[in-house]
Amino acid sequence: MTIAHANADAARAHLSEVLLRTGQEDRDAFRELYTLTSAKLFGITHRICGNAQAAEDVLHEVYLTIWKRAGAWEPGRASPITWLATIARNRAIDWQRAQGVRRTSPLDDAPDVADPGEGAEAGMLASESSRELIECLDGLEPQQRDAIRTAFFDGITYAELAIKRAVPLGTMKSWVRRGLARLKDCLDG
Amino acid sequence: MVDPITDTGVPEDVAAAELALGLLEGEERGAALRRVLAEPGFAAQVEWWRSRLAVLFDLWPERAAPPHLAARIEASLDGTPAAAPTSRFAWPVLAAVTSAIAASLLLFVMVRPEPTVPVSQPIPVARPTSVLVAMLGDAKSPVAAVYDPANGALRVAAGPGVPDARVAQLWVIGGDGVPHSLGLLSGRPTALAPKGVDRGRIAPGATLAISVEPLGGSPTGLPTGPVVATGVVARV
Repeated sequence: MTIAHANADAARAHLSEVLLRTGQEDRDAFRELYTLTSAKLFGITHRICGNAQAAEDVLHEVYLTIWKRAGAWEPGRASPITWLATIARNRAIDWQRAQGVRRTSPLDDAPDVADPGEGAEAGMLASESSRELIECLDGLEPQQRDAIRTAFFDGITYAELAIKRAVPLGTMKSWVRRGLARLKDCLDG
Repeated sequence: MVDPITDTGVPEDVAAAELALGLLEGEERGAALRRVLAEPGFAAQVEWWRSRLAVLFDLWPERAAPPHLAARIEASLDGTPAAAPTSRFAWPVLAAVTSAIAASLLLFVMVRPEPTVPVSQPIPVARPTSVLVAMLGDAKSPVAAVYDPANGALRVAAGPGVPDARVAQLWVIGGDGVPHSLGLLSGRPTALAPKGVDRGRIAPGATLAISVEPLGGSPTGLPTGPVVATGVVARV
């Protein structure tokens, strides 16, 4: 086991423990959970909402949800950060779609997610399932990979993807569907 | 099961991925959501994709949250009873999301096959003292639910078998088209006492549904696991 692996495992175990204590309505644990995860979750709400004020309001709701629902988190089912990040992404997408505005232009100041990042993030990426998915994504045609990644990170629909990449809706659907089928084969293989 | 709306030639695993990624909207999304409710296998595939794609969260760049936000959140933990968001857009968001869910589920309810109604049904006469029943699931192993409007007691037969560390949760989908939790079931007959507002929802024509949820019930307030049985409430 590499040092990166060991660090990632220790960080995950610690976050699990903090989330479990938050589930027991421990305020100190909740504060620590916020300190440990707010930059990750704000990165998510900011990218999807597209502006800082909305991202902040959505993040507020996300942490209220976490405070109320932490007791329902099951250590065996999802990693703590996945559970938290999923709540943040879903809330942000709900907000974005409730605005009724199509988001098709790139954000001015959104960082590029093509960069796997450094430090702790690179350490977390060392997990087996992360590597497998990234490798399988890398095996797709560029436009398939781009569409799937953009859908995930921008939280946008087929119609928005088609406008964003200036291709007909049918073309976008066919890129994505072929890409998803290949991704499934690769992950199953 | 052939559904003219979902039978578009898209393989099941790809259709599940489309929903998990959030690519669908409008009627396509509604059709996929109905499929999640109706087909446990499809629901499992959606869950598989969600968990596989979740590793992409590792790549998501961090961004420091505004420094004042921690205090704002902490202050709102007190004096905010369940589901009382403080943000100014929260209610419109909730309303929009709820109505989207309502629209899809209403459609789900509308396209469901009619419950078996005796042809020689007597002319309906208001019988406020009669009880309401629903048979959930298939004819082989139905779960019976009996509701007495007079005293608000909802009695449910032994719930369906669920995996370890899971629990069966009972929902009512009434005129608003949104699932409302009625409580958790166990392997033995359960007596539930729905809250006042939920009592009104258990009316003839409403749908009862059982989903499989994490211990303690759905973390989101809406069904998150596979729906294993549904039935329509009828007066007897």
